[in-house]
Amino acid sequence: MLEIKNLHATIGGKEILKGIDLVVRPGEIHALMGQNGAGKSTLSNVLVGNPSYTVTEGSIRFNGKDLLAMSPDERAHEGLFLSFQQPVEIPGVSMVNFMRAALNAKRKYLGLEPLDAGSFLKLMREKRKIVELDSKLTSRSVNEGFSGGEKKRNEIFQMAMLEPTLSILDETDSGLDVDALRIVAEGFNKLRTPETSAIVITHYQRLLDYLKPDIVHVLIDGRIVRTGGPGLAAEIERRGFDWVREES
Amino acid sequence: MKETAQYIDFFRSERQRIDSGSLPVLNARRDEAAAAFERLGFPSQKVERYKYTDVAAAFAPNYGIQLQNAPSAPGAPSDLAAKAGVPTSSPSAASTVDEAPADLVSRLYGTLADVNADAITALNTMLVQDLLLVHVPAGTTREHPVQITYQLHSSAPLMQNRRLLIVAEPGARVQVILNEKADAQQDFLVTQVTEVFVGAGAQVEVYDIESTHDRFHRFHQFFAEVAQDGRLTHTAFTLAGGLSRNQTDVRLSGQGASANLLGCAITDGCQHVDNNTLIDHLAPGCRSHELYKYVVDQQSTGAFAGRVLVREQAQQTDSEERNANLVCTDQARMWTQPMLEIYADDVKCSHGSTVGQLNAEALFYMRQRGISEPDARMLLKQAFAAEVINNIPLKALQQRLHILVEKRFRSCEDCRLCKK
Ligand SMILES: Nc1ncnc2c1ncn2[C@@H]1O[C@H](COP(=O)(O)OP(=O)(O)OP(=O)(O)O)[C@@H](O)[C@H]1O
Ligand SMILES: [Mg+2]
Repeated sequence: MLEIKNLHATIGGKEILKGIDLVVRPGEIHALMGQNGAGKSTLSNVLVGNPSYTVTEGSIRFNGKDLLAMSPDERAHEGLFLSFQQPVEIPGVSMVNFMRAALNAKRKYLGLEPLDAGSFLKLMREKRKIVELDSKLTSRSVNEGFSGGEKKRNEIFQMAMLEPTLSILDETDSGLDVDALRIVAEGFNKLRTPETSAIVITHYQRLLDYLKPDIVHVLIDGRIVRTGGPGLAAEIERRGFDWVREES
Repeated sequence: MKETAQYIDFFRSERQRIDSGSLPVLNARRDEAAAAFERLGFPSQKVERYKYTDVAAAFAPNYGIQLQNAPSAPGAPSDLAAKAGVPTSSPSAASTVDEAPADLVSRLYGTLADVNADAITALNTMLVQDLLLVHVPAGTTREHPVQITYQLHSSAPLMQNRRLLIVAEPGARVQVILNEKADAQQDFLVTQVTEVFVGAGAQVEVYDIESTHDRFHRFHQFFAEVAQDGRLTHTAFTLAGGLSRNQTDVRLSGQGASANLLGCAITDGCQHVDNNTLIDHLAPGCRSHELYKYVVDQQSTGAFAGRVLVREQAQQTDSEERNANLVCTDQARMWTQPMLEIYADDVKCSHGSTVGQLNAEALFYMRQRGISEPDARMLLKQAFAAEVINNIPLKALQQRLHILVEKRFRSCEDCRLCKK
């Protein structure tokens, strides 16, 4: 479903991604690991079309379409979702209005009627349960005053609402306490189908224990230098990154 | 200056007709006003309080001045003049000019609106045709807001000079909503002078909501005096207009008086909105709170100048002033000038202003969730304006304004999309 070829990208004139190749097939979970500053969030942002980044070379196809030619909202409608490493606070925009606008935009794109108020609120309730998100949070402004963990939980709640086919989780585990991590990870697993895939960025084994990735990649200095099975994550947790760097 | 002369000449040649359609109490003040206006002339942009608006240019065209007696009673039909309707659901709590204490109007009219201090006030007092009085007797609470709707329609350019007097006797409570509307695409010029007397312990809320069009020019000089423990809320909401200048002067003259000034302006096209406020702390223990927000789009311009004056005797003043602005394009302009002048030593005062753009990170976050760029921009603008609306004490009006603001932003974004 996702095919990245020789992707180069810059921010502020500085090259961060230096030739990424990656293929994600339906149903697969890929873990992406790598030291701070390696370019993991850069890759996530480039995939969802953040205008701060410039793609200088390479191509990305998503479900056979040219992803780079699409606007960020089109990419979302096509099924791409990013759980942000640092979700932004939007004071004054209520969660309800925000989710309604997002969901109805997608429905419009798919040629569906907007959801009526009753069905929409029912859907919010159902999806909230999946990640056990407190109803007090959805009655507030988007992420405003949310704790770090609450923000992450809210990201997966939004994912549940929008039902993407490819989700990118950028350090969704950081900020979550042990119980919250379990709830969010189990919620994520409930949302999985044989057609949905994910790229999971993390520094820790714990999240991967729940999500059970099929493939693990190590990103160093803008390149994927090693790809392996689930065992690779455990090995990195034990030994760090230096040996990967040396062997590559 | 020829703009000034044009109005003086008109006044002199039409004096009889002006007087004949109007109240003696208004006629009695015209000579003094005319002398003041002739002396002051239209203020140039060198005059401090008018530096953001070209007044003479706005008054230069030859508008037709309507000299028929405009109705000040509810329901009176009139084709050209404004309709001023006061719902009389509880007549005992609001009187027309006829029912009010005999000397009330002559005693209070023009005492806050000093013709010698301001040319537009002088011009208005010289030419005014129409006075509307809202009088609330002592200790009375008006349950429902008094709604006054000015809806101009005319087949030719039209100037209107009108007057509003709100008197809340001690302990009285009243809410007044002014709706400024225009249904014809026509050149309109309106001067309005409002004088508000908030008696001891009285509570007055005035909501001034303009929803006109780009050929509408409006000058509103608002003066209020708040006596001991009295409370005034004033809201200047410019949803749409051409040139809007609101001058809002509040005297906190009794101990423990308070003023809450709110303002919001949504501008696009070639609109210009200039809010100029003065809160004068004359007595100890008074509070003032001021929040003005602008969303300035396309080529429009906004200006805010707010002066808070704390006199020597005004100890224990508590004052907060804030002006925040969103400037949406490179061509849009915003001037902001909060001013705090303190002559007392035991006070708590703050003031500040910000000018910013839409938060790019928030925009991107919304677009990642599938919200289109115009919709994301609209949600952010609405959120920005919502803070002012949420500060409005009248809950029913809050809801109405949220809807009107959303509608306003929708049509604004839509028209931009059409131009693409
Ligand atoms: N505006 C910018 N100008 C220049 N360099 C930038 C800019 N923004 C980010 N970078 C750099 O890009 C590099 C990659 O950052 P990125 O956020 O992709 O790292 P990461 O792999 O996600 O790291 P972490 O594990 O800490 O989240 C970093 O060295 C960062 O400093
Ligand atoms: Mg990162």
